[in-house]
Formats: sequence, structure tokens, C-alpha cells
Amino acid sequence: MLTMMDFVKREWRALWQSPWQLALVTYIPIVSVLCLWWLFSAGLPRQLPVAVVDLDNSQISRMLTRKMSANAVMKLESYGQLDLAIKDMREAKVYAIVVIPYQFKYQLLTSKSPTIDIRYNSQYLLVGKLLSSQIQMSLGAGLSKSAEQKLLMSGVNHASIAVNLSPVTSQTTALFNRNNNYVGFLVPPVLIALWQLLAMMVFSNALNKELITVNNQVTLPQDLWIKVLAKCAVFLPIMLLHSSFILLLLYQYLQLPYAGALGVLIIAQAFMLIALWLLVTMIFLMMKDSARCVSFCTALFAPAFAFMGITFPVNEMPELAQYWRLLMPSSHYIDSHVSVVSYGADSALVLQQLSSYWMFIFIIPVIVGLWHRAPKAFGDSVDASLLNNSAPVTSGVI
Amino acid sequence: MTFWALYFAEWRALLADKAIVVTLFGGVVFYSVLYPLPYLHQVPTEQTIVVVDHDNSSLSRKLTRHADASAKIHIIAHANSIDEAKQLIQQGNAHGLLVIPEGFRRNLLLGKGATLSYGGDASYFLIYSAVVEGLVAAGMDAGKQVQLMGLLARGQTAALADQSVNSVNINDVPVFNPSLGYTPYVVPGLFILILHQTLLIGTGILGAGQWRKKGYWQQVSPMAIFSARMAMFVSLYSLFSSFYIGYCFYAYQVTVLGTLAETALMMLPFLLATTAAGITLSCLFIRRDLPTQIFLLSSMPILFVAGFVWPIALIPEPLVWMSQVIPAIPAINSMLTLNQMGADWSAIMPQWLQMWLMFAVFSGLALAGIRRRQKEVHEAH
Repeated sequence: MLTMMDFVKREWRALWQSPWQLALVTYIPIVSVLCLWWLFSAGLPRQLPVAVVDLDNSQISRMLTRKMSANAVMKLESYGQLDLAIKDMREAKVYAIVVIPYQFKYQLLTSKSPTIDIRYNSQYLLVGKLLSSQIQMSLGAGLSKSAEQKLLMSGVNHASIAVNLSPVTSQTTALFNRNNNYVGFLVPPVLIALWQLLAMMVFSNALNKELITVNNQVTLPQDLWIKVLAKCAVFLPIMLLHSSFILLLLYQYLQLPYAGALGVLIIAQAFMLIALWLLVTMIFLMMKDSARCVSFCTALFAPAFAFMGITFPVNEMPELAQYWRLLMPSSHYIDSHVSVVSYGADSALVLQQLSSYWMFIFIIPVIVGLWHRAPKAFGDSVDASLLNNSAPVTSGVI
Repeated sequence: MTFWALYFAEWRALLADKAIVVTLFGGVVFYSVLYPLPYLHQVPTEQTIVVVDHDNSSLSRKLTRHADASAKIHIIAHANSIDEAKQLIQQGNAHGLLVIPEGFRRNLLLGKGATLSYGGDASYFLIYSAVVEGLVAAGMDAGKQVQLMGLLARGQTAALADQSVNSVNINDVPVFNPSLGYTPYVVPGLFILILHQTLLIGTGILGAGQWRKKGYWQQVSPMAIFSARMAMFVSLYSLFSSFYIGYCFYAYQVTVLGTLAETALMMLPFLLATTAAGITLSCLFIRRDLPTQIFLLSSMPILFVAGFVWPIALIPEPLVWMSQVIPAIPAINSMLTLNQMGADWSAIMPQWLQMWLMFAVFSGLALAGIRRRQKEVHEAH
């Protein structure tokens, strides 16, 4: 009689013999995690090219230009003609155009409300919106300077100028991600999405190994379930090791701020993996073919990032998208992640959040049903699996 | 075998393979619906915030009403303290807060000035920017009203007072994506990437399934099989591209500024280069479940390195250099330049030529790869 330990050992052997599977659990996650982090490592957008067309060339317009170039987000480029600036804007060489009109100073002095035109490229939404607010802020700072002079000239005393200019001042605080760092905002969900894809591939590869082809008929071994449990026992710790690496990289090495205790997130990740693998097992039993199983899982999980609700708020998604979102284990997890990292949720709350996985329970009867309908191999299953292992290429090719 | 016989043999091989059909037909159609699905409402509106009103005056209530009237903001609760508001935010009921200090109205009327505090949950950037934009607009409006009242009280005429409050107009307009929508931002680049990745996966699975088996593909010269396969995939993907660019772009209200002829001319070397790259890479595979996995892993890095989600100026140079061998990179950039931003053909000329160069290089590599695979089988038999 074979014990569970034998099956676990068998799983380790199979892992050792498959170069691709071994790569998936060793260097591929680490390399891709580091690559994606490197991509976003700048963190804060700065020195984005902005075209300035100064048609006035007066003291005030030059002062405004200086104010803008003092802003770290922008890198100003002067254009003599509007046409050239428009052309470069269309080619994405600059992300915004600021036009200071002809006779700007003259109109200001003669109380005629001149208009400063700003055009920002919203095709690049992130950059465009950022530049729009930063340009307005810099221009506002510059204009209040000239308004201050005007007030002084009209006899307002120095002490009350600030109040006269802007009676209501505002103090804007970014909660939870203080300096609006994109690494803290974007990299954790991107890495979680990547990790989910890796976990999906590792598990479906491991399951696909169990397909036995006899006379062009694909069958499943009799003792599939103990093997699946053995796979969980092997791959759960490995994948959790990788997710811990992600957490360590982000919150220890890069020292991104976090409010709660990160340890409890490992439990949330374990739940996410189990939910994910339930789905993968269901698809595996439906497809019973290695390439189709992977393709289908890919179709399902590749867009997971869009559905997490980090880049685009969940409550603004159409209802269908909100339901689809609940199918993705990563979106359940990311809620716990945000609540621990940003809001400092305690372990009790995180454990309570895990109950959102309840609907994954309904997959189990489906899996059982599919299992009963699937053709099963006869005879000693261990022999069959050995036969299967000895010819991995054929099982993959057919 | 004539070219046409080979061409139809390729079609049969493709359609007989369920894994490819699932990925190509299923994937292309499924993704065209699924990827833009979360973003269909385009712009985040009515973000929930909590108000902490320590003043409880007519002006503070007016400010609250004005903030609530903003399309970007929806006030869900009035909290008695910041701690209470914080709890609502942590439970996910609200994403921002507005704090009106005690004596807000009194201080303003006395000419002392007052400070409003806004907070937004910056764990979600789009929500944060919506909350802050809405609150800042409401706050500025309140400020201007007070200013106007003060000026009028000091005996200025209404017109003059208005002029001195708004001495300079700032006309801030978004271009190319005037609604600031999320689908026009994501869809053009993303759809090119989907075409690119599914095409690579399709050629990959087809090749991997064939190389070790006997079949029509070894009875002809590498050049013949290469050109038949190119013709088959390019004709299939012309259809898919027409669906994406011709139908989906309109359906998702993406800005479309390029002419049909120019867009088609731009897509041609992209499809050719991607198919050639796919055939080249397919020569490396013998397991049919591998291409999907490898190309899936590469999807996210390619998406982000293309420079439309995250500005290219901020991506480390070595990554940008490395990405230049991927056909999707010049294709995404020329699609955005030509079709979304309406630039001249001359603007995308370098990238267009780059795609032709890729086509030439990958064709050479693909021919060499096919030759090697054919020789391998001949030696084995």
C-alpha cells in the first residue's frame, strides 16, 4: 500500500525531471518579478516633456514659464510656432502644450482676462491627467504672484493679501500611499497577477502529467485524488515561498509603507491558491488535453489584472464585470492585501474576508460530477503513471 | 504540391486542432469582450466620500452640497470625528474625506482665511484623482464666492469683481481622448497586443504539434511551407484585425483618425513580421502546451514596456532597447500615433521600416528553423 509520502516523493521526482516545470518554480518567477519591478522602478513620473508656445514673450509670460520649469514633473521645451508643437504632440514627443497668447501681459494690465490654453494628451491617460493638474498648479502659483502685485498696488495691506487672494486654502492628503508612488500602487497587483498565472501553469502542468493515453483514448488514473493532494502538498509551499519573496521585496527591501501585519497575508494567499487550483482542476477535467487545458486557463486568467479593481474602481465596473471579478481568486486576495497594507487591518478581519471565497465551494460538486463521467484507466495506476512519465513527449504531442 | 494545395492543407491542419481553434477564434473573440468589460463606464464618477463638518454653519453646509453636486463625488455620510471617517474608509464604504474646520464661516467672514482638508485613498489612483478633483473644484468655488462677496461688500461693481476673481482664464482641454475615457486609453494598444500574442501562440502550437510527426510539411521545401503558412495566418489575421480595428474600435468609441488605407498599410508589416516571428519561435517547441505558457508570461511585460500605460521616458533604457525586437512594440506605437493621434505617415515611417526589417530577419530565421526540423525528421527515419 502506498502512503501519501510516496505520492509526494513521486511528485518531487516528476518535478525534478521536467525542466520547464522546474524553471516555472525556480528562476522564471524571480526573473519576471524583478523585471516588472525594474520597469516601474522610477516610481514617480518626472521630467515629462511639455511644449510651451510663448507668443507674448513678456516679463509675466517668462515668469510663468520659469514657474512651470521649476516643477519636477515637467521638462519644458520651447516652441516658436504652434504648428511644430502640434506635430510633436501627435507624435507623442511632448505630452502637453501650453500656449501663452499674444499680448497676454497687455490684456492682464488692461483688465481683459486673457486665456492660457493647455492641451494635454489624454490618449496617455496617466501622463495626461498628471500633467494637466501639475501645469495648472504651477500656473496658479505664478499667477497669484502677479495678482499679489496688483492687490498691493490697489492699496491692500501686506498682511491681508494671502487671505484676499485665496480665502479658502486647501490641504490635500493622499491617504495610505503618501507620496503617490506608482511602485506602491501598481507593482503589488501586477506581481500578484503574474504570480497567479504562474501558479495556474504549474498546477495545470502537474495535472496534465496524469493524463494516460491508451489507444488514442485519454483516461484518468483511478487514484487521481491522492495525486492531486500530493501536488497541493508539493506546490503550495513552493508558490507561497515565491509570494513571500514578493512581499519581502516590496515591503522589506524596497521598504514600501505597510500598516498591518504581513504574516496573515500568507494565509490569504494559501486560500487564493486553493481556490485557483479548484478552478484549474475543473477545467482540466473538462478539457482532458494538455494544450487545451492551458489555453483555456490562459483565456480565463490572463485578464485578471484588469478585474482586480486597482487601476479602475470596482464600483464603476458594469455589473457583469463585477460578477466576473468574483470568479478570479486574485481579486478576492487583493482586497485583503489592500486592507492589510493600506488600512492596517488585523488578522481577524482578514480571516473574516476569506469567507468571500464561499462560492468556490460550488466547484467541488462539479468536479465530482466530471470525475464520475470521465473515462478511467484500468489496472495498477502506479504502473500507468510510470508509463506516462517515461514518455512525456507523446502525451504532450497528441 | 502546388501553393494552393499547401495553403488549404495549412487551413485544414489549423482547423483540425482544437487547442489552436480555442486560442485563436475563442481567444480573439472572448478577449474583445472581456478585456474592455471592466472599463465600459469609462470615467469614475460618484466616488463615495465622508464629510467631517466641525463647523455646521450655513457656508459649510453649502460647501457640502456643492461637493455632492459634483459629478465626481457622492457624499455617503457625515461623521462626527476623523476617526469615525477613517473607519468608514477602512471598511471600504468610502474612498475619501472632507474636513471642514471649526469656525470655518466665521474666520472667512472676519477675513482670516480658513483651511479645508481633503483626503483621498491613494491605494486607488483613479479614485484618488476623482475625489481630489471634485473636492478641489468645490473648495475653489466656495473660496471664489467668499471673495466675490467681500469685493462686492467693499463697493466694487459686479463686473469688476468678477474680473478680479477670474483675472486669467485657464482653458485646459484633453485631446485625442476627449472624454478621458479608460477604454480609448487601453483598447488600441491592448488589442494589438492580443493579436500579436494569439498569433504567436497559434503558430507555436501548430509547429510544435507537427515537427515530430510525419506530414505534408516535410514533403515540400522550407520556402514552400513557410510561404503557405505565412499566407494562411496573414489572411486569417487580416480578418481578425479587421474585426478589432474595423468593428471593435468603433464599438468601444476609440478615437479613429487614420485613414483605412494608411491603417491597413501599417498593419501589413506587423502581421507579416509577427507571423514570421511566430514560425521562427515555433521551431523551438516540441511540446504543444508550452507556447501558450511562454507567450502568456511575456504578455504583461510587453504591455507595460510598450509605453502607453507607463510613460516610455520612465522605463529603464536597457528594457526599451531589448523590447525593440518584439513586433508588437513598433506596431502599438505606430497604431497610437497614426490612428489615435492622427499624425502623418512620415511620423511612423521609422517604425514601419523597423517592422519590415523584422519581417526580413525573422523570415530568414524561420527558413533556417524549418530546414533544421525537416532534417531532424529525415535523419530519424
